[in-house]
Amino acid sequence: MYRRYRRASQIAVFALMFAVPVLNLYEIYAITGTFYAINIGGLGIADPVVILQAMFAAGELTVPLLSAAIFPVLLALLLGRVWCGWMCPYHLLSDVACAARLAAATRILKKAEPASPAVKRSFSANMWRFGFLLVGTAAAGAIGIPVLNYLSAPGITSTEAMIFVKERTFSLEIGFIAVLLCLEFTLIPRFWCRFFCPTGAFLSLFRSSFTLRIVSETKNPAVPCCKESPCLSACPMGLQPYREGGNLLCTNCARCIDACPHQRLKFDGFLTARPR
Amino acid sequence: MADGLREFLERVFVRGQNPFVNNYAINRLRPPGAVDERRFMGLCIRCNRCLEVCPYGSIKRAGVGPPMGTPYVFPEQKACYLCMACCRLCPTGALDAHLRNPEKAVMGKAKIDPSICYSHLFLDRDKVPQGAKQKIGALCNTCYNVCPLQDKAITLKGNLFPVVLDGCVGCGICTERCPTRPRRAINVIPSGMGRVDEAGFYFGKARRHHDSAVSRAEKPSSGALKGEELLDRKYKIDGSRDASDFQFPYETSDQIEGWD
Ligand code: SF4
Ligand code: SF4
Ligand code: SF4
Ligand code: SF4
Repeated sequence: MYRRYRRASQIAVFALMFAVPVLNLYEIYAITGTFYAINIGGLGIADPVVILQAMFAAGELTVPLLSAAIFPVLLALLLGRVWCGWMCPYHLLSDVACAARLAAATRILKKAEPASPAVKRSFSANMWRFGFLLVGTAAAGAIGIPVLNYLSAPGITSTEAMIFVKERTFSLEIGFIAVLLCLEFTLIPRFWCRFFCPTGAFLSLFRSSFTLRIVSETKNPAVPCCKESPCLSACPMGLQPYREGGNLLCTNCARCIDACPHQRLKFDGFLTARPR
Repeated sequence: MADGLREFLERVFVRGQNPFVNNYAINRLRPPGAVDERRFMGLCIRCNRCLEVCPYGSIKRAGVGPPMGTPYVFPEQKACYLCMACCRLCPTGALDAHLRNPEKAVMGKAKIDPSICYSHLFLDRDKVPQGAKQKIGALCNTCYNVCPLQDKAITLKGNLFPVVLDGCVGCGICTERCPTRPRRAINVIPSGMGRVDEAGFYFGKARRHHDSAVSRAEKPSSGALKGEELLDRKYKIDGSRDASDFQFPYETSDQIEGWD
């Protein structure tokens, strides 16, 4: 039931990516920018990772820099990694690639489930992500360039959309997105969002007790509560939703809630933390 | 090659310079209001908002290399028309958000090459440009006519030929319109490029060429002589001391009939 809303949100953001440069062609500057940094009616919003890197690379901390990062961090504190699950344009492309992978596996290879050599343990996935973020930020500070921007999937996707609208071409960086999607289609589905993406990693750091998260009503979290456990294959992040709903990897996409045949999963957090 | 490598290592390890943040070249300009190159490379997050709002499409993205994705103005293709729309929108301060006055921009300085500028050629009677059969030239002065800061940034000396003044902000409109091909007679040198410690490898290369030219000129020549040096040496050859007095090998007479 959440699926429809999530798709609507993802598609709206994806369309926004093209709409902003189109509006700007008609000299309407209410919204400007890409998903590295966007300005909506005077409210500056920037990907906090690029702000973090700019701080290290230029060695300065200024008000415009900090204020641009506040909104995404607040959003993450309230709603968790909703940017990833509900908005990120790359995530939508990755959804498409993984759906194509599933379809190819069932139709062509005649296998029910494509075997994924992905690391199933969320701990190692998180370590990869945070390690990558740390190394990238350190590198940005060392060489004075925000290097992780060259590898920002949502930023590159929206920049390419803007370049396409403005100049009817793509730039070289689209190759990076293509390579990522090919790898997700063939080898490890969702590997970018699970193991590398610095934006996703940084956003998941802001998780507190009142952040929106998935809770499970299962009695014994050590084993799946039902035999089929469809939530396991539903989770794009490779989590076990019946016990790891609050994991840093979780994008609050609610696929598991939709998948559970017994309605044992639901959202919790600041919504229900108030005294009833 | 080895010189270049040594230069590189020396810059990085001895002088502690950052090799990634000096991306200067002639006619490669940052948008107006850009802070100095080193800070710019750190602060610019490649969001391309400046590129998106430029109403003239003046700003281009840099391609492969350390500055990939950062904004550049290539005045040979399209100059900056100093509308100042981009500065206001930069989210990080890589472009100075408070800069409104185009006369305060410091993108670079234009420089005229008198050996190809039509106006200069026209006035210089003796000059025949390389590859041309005859003297060419005209009182072109296009650069003066298109400059948005006429008489502050560029003026006509004696109403005849253009001269760049201190007020030049480096927008590059003159470069865009200059009619000479393949090279433009007026080009913009980005600000920062002239500073030895900021200018990085571009300057390094220029300095190496200069140094090697100077040392070549100073080095005492060895072996074969050429050109003017050879002529000089030839003129200086004086055998008078070594030779014995000249004697005619026959009897001479002081009185030859008919001579006088
Ligand atoms: S992890 Fe990165 S690429 Fe993936 S959805 Fe989140 S922001 Fe987008
Ligand atoms: S645990 Fe549920 S909400 Fe979180 S990422 Fe997995 S499927 Fe989505
Ligand atoms: S708007 Fe500023 S941060 Fe964004 S690309 Fe332009 S100069 Fe860089
Ligand atoms: S000042 Fe105006 S014309 Fe010049 S680069 Fe900025 S937006 Fe473009």
